[in-house]
Amino acid sequence: MNTEIPVEQTQSCSVQEIMAVFLARDLVDGEQLQVGVGLPVPEAAVRLAHLMHGPNMELIFLGARMNVAHLDSIPLPQFGWDRRVVRWAESYSDTGHRFDHVNDWAKRVFFVGGIQVDPQGNTNLIGIGEDHRRLKFRGPGSVGTPTLTTHVGRYYIVLNTHTARTFVPKCDFISTVGWGDGDPNARSKLGLPGGGPRYCVTPLCVMDFTESPKRLRLRSVHPGVCVDEVRDHTGFDLVIPDEVPITALPTPAELTVLRERVDPGGLLRSPN
Amino acid sequence: MASLSLRRERIISEHDAVGCIADGMTIAIGEPHPMALVRHIIRRGLRNLTVIGSGLALDILIAAGCVRKVISYYAGGGYWVPVAPAFRRAAEAGLIEVWECEEGILTSGLEAAGKGLPFLPWRGGVGTSLPQVNPDLKVFSDPINGETLIAVPAIIPDVTLLHAAESDAYGNVRHCGGPGWIDLFLHRAARRTIVQVEKVISNEEIRSNPWATTINSGVDICRMPYGAHPFYSRGYYVQDKPLVAEYFSAANVGGAGLGHFLDTYCREPQSHAEYLTAIGIKRLLDLHEY
Repeated sequence: MNTEIPVEQTQSCSVQEIMAVFLARDLVDGEQLQVGVGLPVPEAAVRLAHLMHGPNMELIFLGARMNVAHLDSIPLPQFGWDRRVVRWAESYSDTGHRFDHVNDWAKRVFFVGGIQVDPQGNTNLIGIGEDHRRLKFRGPGSVGTPTLTTHVGRYYIVLNTHTARTFVPKCDFISTVGWGDGDPNARSKLGLPGGGPRYCVTPLCVMDFTESPKRLRLRSVHPGVCVDEVRDHTGFDLVIPDEVPITALPTPAELTVLRERVDPGGLLRSPN
Repeated sequence: MASLSLRRERIISEHDAVGCIADGMTIAIGEPHPMALVRHIIRRGLRNLTVIGSGLALDILIAAGCVRKVISYYAGGGYWVPVAPAFRRAAEAGLIEVWECEEGILTSGLEAAGKGLPFLPWRGGVGTSLPQVNPDLKVFSDPINGETLIAVPAIIPDVTLLHAAESDAYGNVRHCGGPGWIDLFLHRAARRTIVQVEKVISNEEIRSNPWATTINSGVDICRMPYGAHPFYSRGYYVQDKPLVAEYFSAANVGGAGLGHFLDTYCREPQSHAEYLTAIGIKRLLDLHEY
């Protein structure tokens, strides 16, 4: 545990901030970090990493690629729907041409959400139900996640909730292939060149994958969460090691940058 | 010697633009959304359309009962709602058919149409449920390396409707800040394209920078200042967030409130000018970008 963190600091820290800091530390300078729409935790994570230790990172929101490490602007540009995001971009490409250079994606990192996740890290944005023509819950659709997760060097599954309805033994539909049937070679057998999912981060915990077969394993629980709570909220047998550490807490320096530069509006501290 | 007859201008009325769309056609909606033409479609009460689109424009057409089939890689509401509400309700009730795809699959199908090909191969989606839930996508073994890929059939819109910054009277179009989304793919795939623009500029200005022309002549133009409202128009205005939120909260509930929204903003104004009058000049001028 990070005993050097002052207690008052850790108590005032939200779980979304812990998730963002965990992700930020895992990102490496020089990488291309692509974030889609409506993912505030990954959005904060890439900006935090960029300012803390990634001056050579490229942030990619939709078609806009930017490096804003040298800018003093507060807040950093919000990823939005209109032209203002392009103001910060060094280049821009339209929808169809964003996938024209996938042979350069080994250094690209991506983040996916999902309405269902299975033990092999396959995810579903299509919907819930047996009959695709009459879904019980219609999801938003796959966006660009099938292509992105096919090619990126690695990706993270990041969810806003952790329930047994989200973590299911089998997805009703699969929109992104994690480790397929769990075979460590499942991706190469399908001809998917990317590195697959690395971690799954939720408001309760961080999970990684066992080596063979590939299966979700509890890696750490966030402060105040116990292992049983994670087990009870997961709809399949999660691999649980004997020792489960607490997710590392933000340092005061990280919290300062996160709150003053990345998220001055407090989006990560507001209730979902 | 110069030609003896005059070059034909391509500016048409919103009435004539929507007049070329018939029940049952496949229409594609670009982004920023050409909302003035979308509202006109709702006013005319067109039915059974196949719509290639996303976001607000797609959802409001579904809410108004114009749509039978949706071709979309993303039917969310961005930050407003995780899933576009009218889309969700209609899909769950089986009232619309969804041609399930994703960004690369959709653009491959459009590109195949533009290039005159029956299909183009795509990798993203291999191993997923997409080919099962969309039988038009054919998994095949490529004849060069024997890799497993998806054949995406050509997707051909009867009419593509776009919103851009400027054009001249002959249909040379400029998107401000680049054609950021999928507009050019929708245009190249379509049998016919109609572009609503904020401003019509001179042909001399177009010729002063031909590289800035994103769509060249041959498309029809509708002069529609503030025509993307309540969506954004790059170089002109940002989203009218309260009105977009008003739509999504009405659409979430459905019923009379949604009907009232559609009547107030889409059916009762008889033209784009009447719509802008209903919105009011102050509200429009407050939507500046910077």
